[in-house]
Amino acid sequence: MAEQFVGKASEFKDGDRQIIRLGEDEIGIFRHEGAFYAYSNFCLHQGGPACEGLLIAGVEERLRPDKTSMGLHFSEDRMHFVCPWHGYEYDMKTGEQVADRRLKLRKYNVVQKGDDVYVVA
Amino acid sequence: MSSPDRTAKKTAARKPAKKTAVAPPVARDPSGAQKVALLKAMYDGIAPGSKAAIKSAAKKQPAGKKQMAAKKQAPGKAAPGRTSAAAKGTPAGHKPSARTASKPQAAKQQVEVLRRIPAASQSVESEASRRARALAAEIEKALADGALDHLQPHAVQSLMGALCKFYAANYDMGERYPVVAGRVAVTGTDVMIVCGSLLKAADLQVFELGMWQSWAGR
Repeated sequence: MAEQFVGKASEFKDGDRQIIRLGEDEIGIFRHEGAFYAYSNFCLHQGGPACEGLLIAGVEERLRPDKTSMGLHFSEDRMHFVCPWHGYEYDMKTGEQVADRRLKLRKYNVVQKGDDVYVVA
Repeated sequence: MSSPDRTAKKTAARKPAKKTAVAPPVARDPSGAQKVALLKAMYDGIAPGSKAAIKSAAKKQPAGKKQMAAKKQAPGKAAPGRTSAAAKGTPAGHKPSARTASKPQAAKQQVEVLRRIPAASQSVESEASRRARALAAEIEKALADGALDHLQPHAVQSLMGALCKFYAANYDMGERYPVVAGRVAVTGTDVMIVCGSLLKAADLQVFELGMWQSWAGR
């Protein structure tokens, strides 16, 4: 599989996204907390632009040592992105659909060589 | 022909033919095999190059660009210096799959940047805001540790009073934003307790709050 140049790392600020077409594939490239992630931009539900929706942290319920709830909070380390068509939510680090972890977006490896960012496709 | 026969023929011609009602086709549930196939297709996802991928890509594009995309999908010429598989001839017995047939053979893939989505803008933080957020984080940590006596009552009263006045003053000037946002989450019970206590502190009843909201249009 060939490495395709997609841009310079200096042009990607943290939180930025880029949607590229590579042949017949549409790929969404994220930069989150310094790392790059790339997934297919076709939602598993009905093919919507999965990588172009809202970025939102995962919601978790925190418990005290006696197992009583402290309420719902946004997670400090889990970031999700949401398909804008019907709300399918995916984990940024794995591409798994949050409601059913068996469903997973196609993931592409991202290689950084110096300031150049490549997607392996 | 006698006249009764003629009239009988005329009346028969005038009467419209009876239409027999056709029963609508009965909708049938998909078979077990069809359901399994659908689930498998969902788990596999939309493969690039498939009909579904082309359809969804076409839906996303505006009408003007669809024609351009349709022209681009026509098989292109091979790069100079490279011979295509058709020119070489396929080996006997080899059946090219639908996917490989649709992809341009021996053509260099070009990256086309479709959209750049910048990160949400972040405003520059003032020193007072930074200290306020640090205090909020400290209070959250004390709550998580169960240290409910971390702040003494008079300190809580000062903070609540100042924040109420500050928020209300900004609201009146038109600087309106949600009172809680971001990674802070409050439960319904928390809201009920605080609102009830605030109303009591100002000697207000709940119905007065409702009346004020309806009169002020808020």
